[in-house]
Amino acid sequence: MATDTSEPHRSPLHARHTDLGAKLAPFGGWEMPLEYAGVVAEHKAVRSAAGLFDVSHLGKVVVTGPGAAAYVNATLTNDLDRITTGQAQYTLCCDQGTGGIVDDLIVYLLAEDHLLLVPNAANSAEVVRRLREAAPAGVEVRDEHHDHAILAVQGPASDTVLVGAGFPTGHDYMSFTRATLPTDEGDVAVTVCRTGYTGERGYELLAPASAAPALWDALLAAGGEHGLVPCGLGARDTLRTEMGYPLHGQDIGPDVTPVQGRLGWAVGWRKPEFWGREVLTAEKERGPERVLRGIRALGRGIPRPGMAVLDAAGAPVGAVTSGTFSPSLRTGVGLALLASSVAEGDEVSVDVRGRNEAFAVQRPPFVDAAPR
Amino acid sequence: MYPEDLKYTSEHEWVRPGASVRVGITSYAQDALGDIVFVSLPAVGDTVEAGAAIGELESTKSVSDLYAPVSGEVTARNEALDATPELVNSDPYGEGWLFELTPSDPAQVEGLLDAAGYQAQLDT
Repeated sequence: MATDTSEPHRSPLHARHTDLGAKLAPFGGWEMPLEYAGVVAEHKAVRSAAGLFDVSHLGKVVVTGPGAAAYVNATLTNDLDRITTGQAQYTLCCDQGTGGIVDDLIVYLLAEDHLLLVPNAANSAEVVRRLREAAPAGVEVRDEHHDHAILAVQGPASDTVLVGAGFPTGHDYMSFTRATLPTDEGDVAVTVCRTGYTGERGYELLAPASAAPALWDALLAAGGEHGLVPCGLGARDTLRTEMGYPLHGQDIGPDVTPVQGRLGWAVGWRKPEFWGREVLTAEKERGPERVLRGIRALGRGIPRPGMAVLDAAGAPVGAVTSGTFSPSLRTGVGLALLASSVAEGDEVSVDVRGRNEAFAVQRPPFVDAAPR
Repeated sequence: MYPEDLKYTSEHEWVRPGASVRVGITSYAQDALGDIVFVSLPAVGDTVEAGAAIGELESTKSVSDLYAPVSGEVTARNEALDATPELVNSDPYGEGWLFELTPSDPAQVEGLLDAAGYQAQLDT
């Protein structure tokens, strides 16, 4: 893998973040806000009111041309026939040979000949490379990583915040609509999607990078009275971990298949073709050797990536892939890749720096949330 | 900007000199760690050696060791941190203190950094 030693990329909202006193940290080659007031306060704001996230580090890849949708459907795992124009879908880019997850991403179906893919920051270039390499004549794959900003408004007050900022709300989960934001430089188009990665009801707004500060300001101004606060990627991580949503590069990756990652729901098994279909179908039929499962502390242990998981007899059965203190539950929660012999409801222990801490194997989400 | 009446360690802990010394972490340390969610402290009666890891501070993102700033016997621990570890963030020199110990060699306390020395270390 190539190592990027150059300066990190910066969001078009970089100056807004530094003005707000954000702590910045590297995320997939981008320097992004880790936290403003603190992870716990931001986390609680999203669960109780609303939070505003800059997720402009996410990739933006546009696939156009005759047969664009059919091409994406023949490569990425999920079945595009399950959605219609105006809807988005969680899908996976797997390796043809190993079935390992190259990236997990959201695909927006704008038209049969026009799709927008939103991969993870660190994997965007690789997804583009793979899609370009295999694209049939007439299908163009454009990397527009720096052309657009993505802001997320997440939390039960999201609708109120968007209405206050003049945006449409109330469309179905995983669907999107176009809107207009008036700015000093004229009206700009904003795509408003009912998506997110926090487990709360919310929206993700895609706008031209040049309009990002105006959009950020409009949302913060409209949301202040409803409890909206700027949130960093630290809170995004604790929020997604409470939901058991996997993070690529941590819980899933090129060495983990969708069958192991329990992402079979994002695979169109009946499709005649997608990358990794043969090897994944075979693994699904024989059963995976390890499975990504949720773990919840029975004591005071907080799991961290890489910690060994042991069964009741003390034998190693896997490793923690994500773990944190859950601000909602005030206890340790995480995800772990465990031998398929371990079942939900089992008690395991995690080697927390030499101490064996008790955990229950539990199906996420760990908290009650209503993203829909 | 660091209290003049305290001594400091290179591990970003402060020590309030006295017959029994109170120990906490500096405002720099609490800011670097982020929201502290769990504090593991030594037990009263423990005998600790200067520099030994004797507890843990866990934040939402990471965990870091707590070190004994000097050798001695632990005489008190801040029980309030079990329920409200966030005191370490909100009031690191006051309500967010960690533990107290009786130094076996008071000269070790004198040998710690003063406020200017700690600031100088942060600046390098």
